[in-house]
Amino acid sequence: MIDRAVPALLSLCAAFAVWAADSPLIGREAPDFALRAMAGDNMRLSEARGQVVLLSFFGSRCNTCRTQLAELDGVFRTYGPAGLVVYGVSIDDDATAVRSFATSVGVGFPLLADPGKVVGRDYSIDRLPTLVIVDRAGKVRYVHRDPKSRSEPVYVRELRRLLDE
Amino acid sequence: MNARATSEIHMSIALPRIRFLTRPWLALLFACVLAGVVRAQEAPAPAAAPDAAEAPGETRALDTEVQDLKKEVVDLNKELFILEEELLFPANTQVAVFVSMDVGEFFALDSVQLKIDDKEVSNYLYTPREAEALLKGGVQRIYVGNLKTGPHELVAFFAGKGPSARDYRRGATLRFEKSVGAKYLELRISDRQRKAQPEFEIKDWE
Repeated sequence: MIDRAVPALLSLCAAFAVWAADSPLIGREAPDFALRAMAGDNMRLSEARGQVVLLSFFGSRCNTCRTQLAELDGVFRTYGPAGLVVYGVSIDDDATAVRSFATSVGVGFPLLADPGKVVGRDYSIDRLPTLVIVDRAGKVRYVHRDPKSRSEPVYVRELRRLLDE
Repeated sequence: MNARATSEIHMSIALPRIRFLTRPWLALLFACVLAGVVRAQEAPAPAAAPDAAEAPGETRALDTEVQDLKKEVVDLNKELFILEEELLFPANTQVAVFVSMDVGEFFALDSVQLKIDDKEVSNYLYTPREAEALLKGGVQRIYVGNLKTGPHELVAFFAGKGPSARDYRRGATLRFEKSVGAKYLELRISDRQRKAQPEFEIKDWE
């Protein structure tokens, strides 16, 4: 029984590792972008160079995204003073829906609109929510595409590691 | 008297030596301590001193070498960039558009959209930092491309906050003739104090 279970578990872990790290962006320069914020000034990714940036791609009709954004708000409040910048990037077409979603979520970090999905394409976003972590040198270091919302510790561990660098 | 006293002193020194040497365990201990002292004197102290003296000099030389290499890489990168530009945008077809802003009391720049011959070639969104850099005298190259010789039309749309912080959108058009040689155009945003309005113009640098 154990003889069968161990290889199965190992292959499952390997598959998860491949799935978590299969993004072609990892290790590459994060594609730069400038987007309009739902409230406040326009934001450009390259202006946050020197800080760890967490990009959260979300959609207004995605409930998991809502939960994750609420979690990220807590993460941002904890690690913001240590040099963490968080941007929520909406890939919705409907600007009105995004605005009402942004108001209802009420997070402390900027929510940006990408109605043309240009940034979404640059980051090869194929499912929501997706988290992309960019290090202080502007390179993509981690892509988290776990659809389950209870995945905070995994990316928080990566964040802490990058903040320590 | 003097000779006797001297011999007594010699005796008093010699006697303890003899007594000391008569006890073997003490002699052994003495030998060990002596060996330890000799070894400590021989060991790394003299060798370490020159290392410590040489290290800063070596590090400095290495640092200079690294700095020289870095400078070489930067120079090479600059040359490659110029070569790439010359290759991609040859002087006889090159068109470059620049943006500059003066004062900016009546206009806060948000974005610039560029169309050449009715085709969108650039749509640039400005962050407050970039707008500030323009206000401080910075000139941004917003577009560089190729155009064939002949008549062309450039249309620029400027969006932002106008007087009284209202949404403001204006356009400017320039018809120009592309001849042999690079063409440089400047989108200039300035304040018209008399009308308390921003002014947008396109200047053709011959």
